[in-house]
Amino acid sequence: MSTINLTLKIWRQENSDSLGSLEIYPLDNVHTDMSFLEMLDILNEKLTKEGKSPVAFDHDCREGICGMCGAVVDGIAHGPEKEVTLCQLHMRNFSSGDTIVIEPFRSRAFPVKKDLLVDRSSLDRIIQSGGYISVNTGGTPDGNSLPIPSNEAELSMDAAACIGCGACVASCPNGAAMLFTSAKISQLALLPQGQPEQKKRALAMVAQMDEEGFGNCTNARECEAVCPKGISIRNIARLNREYLFATLSEG
Amino acid sequence: MWFGRFLKSSIGKKLVMAGTGLLLLLFLFSHAAGNATIYMSSEVFQSYADELHSHPLIVLLFSLLFLAIFIVHIGMGLFLYYENRQVSNSRYNVTTRVVKNSFSSETMPYTGLFILLFLVIHIFGFTFSTGDVPISVTVKELLGSFFYGLFYIASFVALAIHLSHGFWSMLQTFGLNHPRYDYAISKLTLIIPLFFLILFAGIPLYFMTGLGTCY
Repeated sequence: MSTINLTLKIWRQENSDSLGSLEIYPLDNVHTDMSFLEMLDILNEKLTKEGKSPVAFDHDCREGICGMCGAVVDGIAHGPEKEVTLCQLHMRNFSSGDTIVIEPFRSRAFPVKKDLLVDRSSLDRIIQSGGYISVNTGGTPDGNSLPIPSNEAELSMDAAACIGCGACVASCPNGAAMLFTSAKISQLALLPQGQPEQKKRALAMVAQMDEEGFGNCTNARECEAVCPKGISIRNIARLNREYLFATLSEG
Repeated sequence: MWFGRFLKSSIGKKLVMAGTGLLLLLFLFSHAAGNATIYMSSEVFQSYADELHSHPLIVLLFSLLFLAIFIVHIGMGLFLYYENRQVSNSRYNVTTRVVKNSFSSETMPYTGLFILLFLVIHIFGFTFSTGDVPISVTVKELLGSFFYGLFYIASFVALAIHLSHGFWSMLQTFGLNHPRYDYAISKLTLIIPLFFLILFAGIPLYFMTGLGTCY
């Protein structure tokens, strides 16, 4: 097992109202088999022992499926490795002597709560505005009573892989939440269960997305490139279609 | 009103950019087809221009229509640029673009404004100032001069860069993104800008190099 020595430049901010700045922390003997978050844990242990306040960051499952963690590492959301969340990024991607700049996911709709921790409830409100299906509960439906072509099911599952981490927003030059919204709309629009509310959903979720202060999509494709779940911008094209047809008939 | 809500929404604004962009692209094709006559001879080009202007009503209506489309495309583009600047201005201390060849998408507002500058100069040079001089002579004189010709070539390079993001982006906004057509779209996104670059920038080169003077 090899170790590396790093210089970390981390965004420190007391709360939403205070001004933040980049602080420099040297960190030696970092095991290359550590995950990025474990590296931050080591730093926090060190800071706590020195009587300093530890770096606040979001995390939960640490296996890349919950969508809680995330930071912008050297200008790239979730760091330099493709299709992984920050917790699945390993220190073997860095070399000794590197200076790593760590900043929170930034967007007008993501207020910084503390250090690397941001409030992403704007994404939750987009879901609340229409990212669901209304079902009157009753008896369990018979198996195979709703035939779904397997390629449609696969596309829907691909969209449903979105964990709502917000990396798309953080990496978008305009801070748009189109990849997130399009994935949440696609996963339902592709399935028969999603059809009854299809138009209402597209209109409501886009309206909420705009209201939250996200930017306008300019097809820069950065979101797709950093998405830890590999969500394709084909979903954004689908959202554009959904929105256009919904507007023309029910807008 | 539903149309007002549509225009205010982020996707509505994108669709306006894409829709006007498509109309402008169609205009470019018709303009390019007309201009191509100059490669045959000055006389053919002159007769094309005379024929076109013998129907002043058509020319007037099309000019007004395209003026309106240009105003919407440019106005909406500038508004989006302003809105997005408010969101994105210096968010990070370090910014890394992951997407390769993002030059054309990053520079859309700048190439767009350069084309606008070209448009103003082009219209004042050719539409309003000909007087009694035949258009084919004006073309020969203006585009044969070094700096004027160079400016035209630079503008067509800007147009090609603008289109190399714009064409694909337009189709994506219309919702046209499918594995079956992705290959064709990616090729067309290269071919269409190159087509206009060669056809349009060829004209100043044709006269600057002296090839066009003998006809």
